[in-house]
Amino acid sequence: MEDYYYMEELVQKIPVISICCYLFWKIIKHFVKLLDVEKDPMIVLVTGAAGIYFYDFYAHTSYLRADISVSKSLYRCQIGYALVPMIARGEMLGPDQPVILHMLDIEPAAEALNGVKMELIDAALPLLKGVVATTNVVEACTGVDIAVMVGGFPRKEGMERKDVMSKNVSIYKAQASALEEHAAENCKVLVVANPANTNALILKEYAPSIPEKNITCLTRLDHNRALGQVSEKLDIHVGNVKNVIIWGNHSSTQYPDVNHATATTDLKETPIKELVSNDQWLNTEFITTVQQRGAAIIKARKLSSALSAASSACDHIHDWVLGTPKGKWVSMGVYSDGSYGIPEGLVYSFPVTCDKGEWSIVQSLKIDEFSRAKMDATAKELIEEKSLAYSCLN
Amino acid sequence: MFERDFSGFSGQIGYALVPMVARGVMLGADQPVILHMLDIPPAAEALNGVKMELVDAAFPLLKGVVATTDVIEACTGVSIAVMVGGFPRKEGMERKDVMSKNVSIYKSQASALEKHAAANCKVLVVANPANTNALILKEFAPSIPERNITCLTRLDHNRALGQISERLNVQVSDVKNAIIWGNHSSSQYPDVNHATVAGKPVKQLINDDAWLSGEFIATVQQRGAAIIKARKLSSALSAASSACDHIRDWVLGTPEGTWVSMGVYSDGSYNVPAGLIYSFPVTCRNGEWTIVQGKSGLSIDEFSRKKLDATAEELSEEKALAYSCLS
Repeated sequence: MEDYYYMEELVQKIPVISICCYLFWKIIKHFVKLLDVEKDPMIVLVTGAAGIYFYDFYAHTSYLRADISVSKSLYRCQIGYALVPMIARGEMLGPDQPVILHMLDIEPAAEALNGVKMELIDAALPLLKGVVATTNVVEACTGVDIAVMVGGFPRKEGMERKDVMSKNVSIYKAQASALEEHAAENCKVLVVANPANTNALILKEYAPSIPEKNITCLTRLDHNRALGQVSEKLDIHVGNVKNVIIWGNHSSTQYPDVNHATATTDLKETPIKELVSNDQWLNTEFITTVQQRGAAIIKARKLSSALSAASSACDHIHDWVLGTPKGKWVSMGVYSDGSYGIPEGLVYSFPVTCDKGEWSIVQSLKIDEFSRAKMDATAKELIEEKSLAYSCLN
Repeated sequence: MFERDFSGFSGQIGYALVPMVARGVMLGADQPVILHMLDIPPAAEALNGVKMELVDAAFPLLKGVVATTDVIEACTGVSIAVMVGGFPRKEGMERKDVMSKNVSIYKSQASALEKHAAANCKVLVVANPANTNALILKEFAPSIPERNITCLTRLDHNRALGQISERLNVQVSDVKNAIIWGNHSSSQYPDVNHATVAGKPVKQLINDDAWLSGEFIATVQQRGAAIIKARKLSSALSAASSACDHIRDWVLGTPEGTWVSMGVYSDGSYNVPAGLIYSFPVTCRNGEWTIVQGKSGLSIDEFSRKKLDATAEELSEEKALAYSCLS
């Protein structure tokens, strides 16, 4: 009998105790929030931030095609200028991550670079905890957590392929050393300047203590362009299209692949190939549109893409650091581990998911014959670029 | 869904502004937007290039882009209008010529907005002479409530905060309640008499009235020119960012205890003549701005009074010049 009353009392006490624990927990959470401890700022480096040098859009196309003539006009590169306010507004690392910007450019651009620093101060951005504008590569690289390499040497009229490659090789060699010696541990690197894949490879070769998984190049722009083209074709919102892939080199040999892409309509995911039901378009016009989009932008604007390149650079870093959403992958130029029969030792664009600050190549996707040929062609170009780069080093 | 209209935006400010709007900087991270971009026919291809880039960026919040040279198409259904387009002064041009060109631009855009924009459309004029362009717009769009037509002085306001933060070596987010009075020109009066850093008055912390009434004011007034000298281009990044701040605080409200500067239609507060677009300290709530009055207004010392009056005088002169162009 006593046991029974004991049990009854206990049963009555449990809800009371649970409620007390719950309320206590809520109070603790509330106080922790009140403390509102701000995260430590991350240091983000942007090279080529002044935006006054010139960028040759033919760098988008293959460096090895002899039939492409050098463009006569030179264009302003504004990627850095578009990028820095995005970073300072939290679009790269999240709205609660304070940042310190390090901006690097060459000596002739020092005044313009300082003008950008002045504007960043004028914008009174709450997340921006400091700005360093410098022409000194060591100062720029010190303590850097994220490095976005927009600076490079553009091809000028009359220059040989080998000369352009040679100049970029020496730029990336120098920056590799500085990063290796002065950047924060686990610094993540994104190379934007063309030839992006090969510049990233040079960087990797000359910064051996930076883990190879931390050196990437930008193909997210092409990935986003592919999403955009599909969404326009299907007349649906781009936010409902996902899982395209950009394979290979960020050049005109890139292979935009929608074989595994899907669109979400009415909560249902349908393969793009089914919805478009025009393999002819997918295998020809769609591919060339994405491959040549950079040139199309230049033709319209008389300037190369800056807004979209900067935005895609933010997406690349954002997803890398904060993770990709479940069920979604993105394209990143990463150090090949031999997946999908791609030679190791190249920086090649693959489909990847990201988690806890690390990317992983999406494995076991089926590759048809058409795709195989395209993937191999762009790998071949990368191998040739690699040889050219190495020949410049000797 | 908000539709936004940028006029004249193949220039730098528009190009800096559109990705900010598409990312939710202007209206919040959960507010989908449709962008309407307007420019003159010679810029049509460049405008289309920007539209292509916006498509290429795959922004989740961006639900549509209209790139057009047709002012009616651009203004249709617009909830927020940011007027970046105007006629810049070229070498050798007289003030009257520049004013005359801008008057006709803003007159025609006023008609289009009035007839085709959404009810309660909010307007921000950025192109210079901002205050007077806004006034022309107001005169020729009488059915748009005068409280919905403003001009940008948030850039100067943010610049003032930036200068104080640099001088005191504090985070700019800790500095607040500067005021920009008057015209968005070199006669503007950057006033930190009521500004604070973490609750302490800026005047006390700086402890250098000579600097505050001399160099500080000149630096803020002439900052635009300093940026041009350094970049060889005018401010775009900071102007675009400040335009976003202006609209965001207007629509979503200013934080408690904080005011901002906006060029608004004067109601005679602080003895500023009514009928001008004049920059005042304002707080915003429920989509409406209110001039900071306090019990009897913010105290205005003699030095400030002169400055307030001088910039009002310049605005009255600009108004007269503008009206003479209309006759």
